[in-house]
Amino acid sequence: MADIHPLQVMGLSKQFPRKRGLGSVCAVSNISFNVGQGEIVGFIGHNGAGKTTTIKCLLGLLNPSQGKISLWGNAPANPKVRKRIGYIPENPDYDDSFSPMEYLTMFASMRGLSGVENDWMKLLKRVGLAGWETTVIRQFSKGMRQRMSLALALQSNPDLLVMDEPTGGLDPIARKEFREIIIEENRRGASVFLSSHILSDVETICNRAVILAGGKLVAEGSLKELLGGDKLYRITVISRRTGEEVEEIMPEADLQSRIDSLRKDNLPIVKVELALKSLEDVFMAATGGDSQ
Amino acid sequence: MRAVFTFSLMTLRMLFRRRTLWGILMVILLALAGIASVPSFDVSNQGRFILDFGLFGIEVGALILALGLAANLFPRDRETRTLMPLVAVPLSRWQYLLGRFFGAALVQAAALLVTCLGLMLILLIHKLPIPGDLLPATLLIIVEGWFLLSTVFFFSFFTSPPLNWPLTTMLFIVSQMSVAEFAGLMPSTPGLMRTVRMLLPHADVFHIKDPIAHGFEIEPVYFLIAIFYGLCYSAFMLSLALAVFRGRDLK
Repeated sequence: MADIHPLQVMGLSKQFPRKRGLGSVCAVSNISFNVGQGEIVGFIGHNGAGKTTTIKCLLGLLNPSQGKISLWGNAPANPKVRKRIGYIPENPDYDDSFSPMEYLTMFASMRGLSGVENDWMKLLKRVGLAGWETTVIRQFSKGMRQRMSLALALQSNPDLLVMDEPTGGLDPIARKEFREIIIEENRRGASVFLSSHILSDVETICNRAVILAGGKLVAEGSLKELLGGDKLYRITVISRRTGEEVEEIMPEADLQSRIDSLRKDNLPIVKVELALKSLEDVFMAATGGDSQ
Repeated sequence: MRAVFTFSLMTLRMLFRRRTLWGILMVILLALAGIASVPSFDVSNQGRFILDFGLFGIEVGALILALGLAANLFPRDRETRTLMPLVAVPLSRWQYLLGRFFGAALVQAAALLVTCLGLMLILLIHKLPIPGDLLPATLLIIVEGWFLLSTVFFFSFFTSPPLNWPLTTMLFIVSQMSVAEFAGLMPSTPGLMRTVRMLLPHADVFHIKDPIAHGFEIEPVYFLIAIFYGLCYSAFMLSLALAVFRGRDLK
């Protein structure tokens, strides 16, 4: 029963006081969703939508103003449930006088893990840091620090992986490797909560998505539901001004009236076809295409 | 406690790798050497002078070490985001606080012992006797250093390092004052001043430099009581620090 929902967020709100005590800013407002066992849930939203705030609340780094967060039925502060989480922060950084091997050894001890150096060598190899085990982090690029972060998150074979923009700033090959590792972890049985700006990543690996805009939840559902909801159609017409083909994409409900209006204006319709909807279309429609 | 122990070792290693510790240690040792090179009137005075000012130098060193090692620990962890992966998963906030404190306390104690050895070396160079209570006196300064360290931690959770320095130094100065001296600061409200002073820490209990310099013997029970007092006050300051830290949002 307790393992049904690794993560449940119920009516979460978070307000930050403005500077000089002039009121407060609402970063997240009354959002509710959950991450089921074995699911990969994408958490998407524009900059400042409240993704990182939500993640920090569920890890106990921020105290929610309202609402409840439950990890396997327990509060986030519970040490037993925290041991079951692997976390990749946004723009991770580490004390740069240490090496990855030192970090892994110390984190293992802090987590009460029984692994030995050979296990951590294998883990570093898995995340693409073979040969860098004893190099101080000072010499690492941003991508290498993110790989290091992934190694620390995977170290305890977590039941829930919480990832805040894990592939931001990575090259396409590294992104692909990250995606593959996430899928491997999911096959092992881990649930994944993935916050990302890269919608193609979310579309490729997630089962479900939660979309935030302006601190509010604007869409949630399985990718099948989100992508297969309203059908979109693409109309290609010849522009009277330029003589070139122009495309318009619209929902099914608006299609007939648009065709009628084009016919009325004597604009030649080249073709009308079903447009495949991408997560980007869903995201733009849900957030109104607004970047704020 | 295993997590706290490991994190203390991590902190200890980190502090040993930073230049701050070595810089402060060098300054204290140079100051001690400077004190010893000041000419005095006769041989017996010189011994007293070196011991008195040497122990005072070590005590001020404890304050500078506490501030130099710890004032920037939490703010730096937060600014560089090294705090997030630590506090989000493997460590609770109390484990983070204790781990950082114990690591810094060990480094501070080691540095103060080195300065004590430096003082002994200076006495030997001047062919002066080393008093038997010099090491226990240094131990009391180490305990005072831990109290100062816990104060620095407390302030570091809600002030910036530039503000932490004057606040801790002010508390250090006040903690050296007697009740009468403190009440004399505001003669119009002696009762209030006395009460406030009674509540504030009494770091004067850690100072035995005068009796040592004058060759008086100190009862072992005094050391035990002073150490107990210092540890209790440190625990109290750490509890306050934890209360502040627990209530803080880590943005």
